Amino acid sequence: MLLTPEDITAILLSIKVSLTATALSLPFGFTVAWLIVFKPFRGKVLLEVLVNLPLTLPPVVIGFFLLLLLGKHGWIGKLLAESGIVLIFTWKAAVIASATVGFPLLVRSIRLGMESIDRQLIDASRSLGAQWYDTLLTIILPLSFRGILAGSSLMFARSLGEFGATIIVAGNIPGITQTIPLAIYDYASSPSSTAMALSLCLVSVVISVTVLFLHELLSRKLDRSRAL
Amino acid sequence: MSRFALFCFAFLAMTAPAVAGELKLSVAASLKEVINELTASYTAKNPSTVFVKNFGSSGTLAGQIENGAPADLFIAANTEWMNYLKEKKLVDVASEKTFAFNSLVFAGSTKKHVSSMNDLPALDKIAVGSPKSVPAGEYAMTAITKSGIETKLNGKLVMAKDVRECLMYAEIGEVDGAFIYRTDALQAQKAKLLFVVPQKLYPRVVYPMALTVKAAQNSEAKAFEAYLQGNEAKSVLSKFGFILK
Repeated sequence: MLLTPEDITAILLSIKVSLTATALSLPFGFTVAWLIVFKPFRGKVLLEVLVNLPLTLPPVVIGFFLLLLLGKHGWIGKLLAESGIVLIFTWKAAVIASATVGFPLLVRSIRLGMESIDRQLIDASRSLGAQWYDTLLTIILPLSFRGILAGSSLMFARSLGEFGATIIVAGNIPGITQTIPLAIYDYASSPSSTAMALSLCLVSVVISVTVLFLHELLSRKLDRSRAL
Repeated sequence: MSRFALFCFAFLAMTAPAVAGELKLSVAASLKEVINELTASYTAKNPSTVFVKNFGSSGTLAGQIENGAPADLFIAANTEWMNYLKEKKLVDVASEKTFAFNSLVFAGSTKKHVSSMNDLPALDKIAVGSPKSVPAGEYAMTAITKSGIETKLNGKLVMAKDVRECLMYAEIGEVDGAFIYRTDALQAQKAKLLFVVPQKLYPRVVYPMALTVKAAQNSEAKAFEAYLQGNEAKSVLSKFGFILK
């Protein structure tokens, strides 16, 4: 194993970016999933298409859009610049890129969790006089917990692998925005550092496998506890 | 399933015909436009020659050739990767020639006055190619170190994945300026060439070319390499801003 201090920084940064992206997206992901599953409204299909778009769009396209939107001359970028916030070429831009790309996975899993809730429970709570927020907090939230967990771990894993959008909005700055995939890209473009590239690839595989294992284990445990 | 496999096979057979005069080029990305023009005019005169072109960063291309990617002619953006393949005995040393030279410039759309390396610390953001994988970035970092402004530029450098990404950042104004090749600066729409980096600050940008060992005896490959050194190629190269001597 060959890991330079720069690689360690990249690994820590990757974890920080992925955790932040997942944590930030959770409330939005939950709300969107709830809207799609339980609320009848006009334009629901449009919302679904919008939410799922990053799943099929090339990440480079997302990165370029984000760059134009959040950049100095972009709509959002201009507003943020007035209050002194600069996102482009910082780790925060990497968070936004990861959050955008991973969001559909989060919503999908939470949705599946919510769809599996027995509707009779919801109807029963309503007939007993519960307000919508009561039902949300005491029935929907706990019963879709598995979906939330599954979605979060999946999104976390996807964020760890985010490359295409990140390299455009955040650049490839060692120690600041260079995450694991970007560091591997740097190594892989020079055949003399194959060993370094492979070491980082190994780290990447280990983290992904661990996260996915945890994801499986947790969902099984939850399954079992529900069966009892 | 078997019908699908048959379809795939037929499709592959259709897309990869074994043409006798097929030449496979692995070319550094910064030469894309010039090579496209040269191969087009070569095919016009020699219709039997068909080109399969692979553009990428020189390091990536060298790695591909090392791992057995089919290539007849390799044109790199620096001598490092050519030497790498020479050491591995994958290119024919006798056929190695210099295709062209390039120079490093600083371009941008900033309104601040920038006319030399010493003006750079006054800027906010500067794009350079990621020095580990982009030769232009390596040259830029050498120039920055040699002019002694390295610490003053701390936190201002944005590393991009290739020269064209540097140019893109400069074009849309996200950075004040970028270190790019002269030939890239000529392609820019909004970014203007602000100054030429003095040659004494960085090693000369050379594009070496060589036939691979497999193609060393291929007369068509040899003929094309000779064409690339001829007068017609030279006039196209200078049209795109490359330096010949």
